[in-house]
Amino acid sequence: MPLEVRIPPMLRDCTSGQTRFSITANTLEEALRRLFESYPLLRVHMYDETQRLRQHVLIFFNGESVAWLDRLDVPVRSGDQLTILQAVSGG
Amino acid sequence: MGCPSKGATGGGIVTTRVRLLVGTTKGLFSFESDAQRRDWTTSGPHLGGWEVYSALGDGHQGDRILTGTSHMAFGPSVRVSENGGGNWSQIPEGPSYSAESGFTLNRVWQIVPGHPSEPDTLFAGVEEAGLFVSRDRGATWAELDALTKHPTRAGWFPGAGGMCLHTILIHPDNPQRMWVGISAVGVFRTDDGGETWRTCNEGLARVPVGTPHPEVGYCVHKMVLNPDDPNTLYMQYHQGVFQSNDGAESWFPIENGLPGDRISAELGAPFGFPIAVSRSGDLFLFPLESSEQRTMRDGRLIVYGMRRGSDRWEPVGDVVPDEPRHVSVLRDALTIDSLEPYGVYFGTTSGEVFYSVDGGVAWDRMPGQFGRILCVKTWIQEDQDAA
Repeated sequence: MPLEVRIPPMLRDCTSGQTRFSITANTLEEALRRLFESYPLLRVHMYDETQRLRQHVLIFFNGESVAWLDRLDVPVRSGDQLTILQAVSGG
Repeated sequence: MGCPSKGATGGGIVTTRVRLLVGTTKGLFSFESDAQRRDWTTSGPHLGGWEVYSALGDGHQGDRILTGTSHMAFGPSVRVSENGGGNWSQIPEGPSYSAESGFTLNRVWQIVPGHPSEPDTLFAGVEEAGLFVSRDRGATWAELDALTKHPTRAGWFPGAGGMCLHTILIHPDNPQRMWVGISAVGVFRTDDGGETWRTCNEGLARVPVGTPHPEVGYCVHKMVLNPDDPNTLYMQYHQGVFQSNDGAESWFPIENGLPGDRISAELGAPFGFPIAVSRSGDLFLFPLESSEQRTMRDGRLIVYGMRRGSDRWEPVGDVVPDEPRHVSVLRDALTIDSLEPYGVYFGTTSGEVFYSVDGGVAWDRMPGQFGRILCVKTWIQEDQDAA
């Protein structure tokens, strides 16, 4: 199932210049794995050396942070979106 | 005055290009001139939005520039341009700690070339403090982990700018001997190419870091090596300015003529961040108000120098005599080129770049105002045209 991915413009040199593109996956977990397989340079900006998601990075699945999901084997449906964001607090 | 921008050699005409790479909190800017260094062209921002804590014009590689980029949210990386800043790419296997180490790399504070006998070698100093080496011109990197496995590691404590390895010096005659400076940890020296390290802080006053390891806790701000005598080093320290004549075995203060007083609690020892040395041995630095205030004394942007052979610092240049500048100059934001006469360059925390080609007496300002300036590096290129 195709899934739309959006990334911040600052990171587009990690994704061949794209800020919106599609990947195909059956689950959210598979989508994340394929995202970093396809664009390995992106990983260093998402996760630190201990594989923790960086403190000020958010990954949203259909408008909800994946950090709040109990599990990642959520089925992907047509029109789903995966968005990488810089967490912002304050001005 | 000044050296010619073009000169004839047996192989043709040599044209000198002078580039100044200025890293800011919001990208990299490049200024280019000829050997006269009167007229400059500006390009940038390159790498817009990224902090550029370190930059290196790689003299061995034509128009190659390496940068240490970082971002509050998206972390650190090394980015390279093969065409002088026209295009950039991220190095896939940049410096990175192993997961087992438990350390995280936040910024790349320093990228320097290896010894001239090792033209494919580069070193990177990082925060959280550590040293990395590349033996293939920056394509892949490995940690020299004897440093982070040093027995004092549990006592390392960050300075206000983070726990950064900000200075890497290589002995000009012996590539096995190197010195590094870490805030607020101190000076380490290796005599075996990074296999083992020992602390070199005798004569410095320990800062109150609150850790039990007396060998560390020394807030070195920046070090340079005497160009004629690799046993002589100079240091801007948190509490004063120091010299070593024995390869950093011991340090003694060199503060004659500087504002400040290490005896007086009110004035305090001379405080500042950068120190730079010319190829002819002249030293330059900026005395700041105090550790608490960290701005120019009385708002006057005055460069102090100690000429070769002298034992006294003097205010050699009032950079902006008619206007106050309540700013600072960060530890890597002062540099000197290798031409004759040499040029001195610095950038301020308020984003202005100044330069002098007469030994620091008269100063000009580059057009434009930029983000907080993190590093200023010169890059001299000699292009040889066919005769």
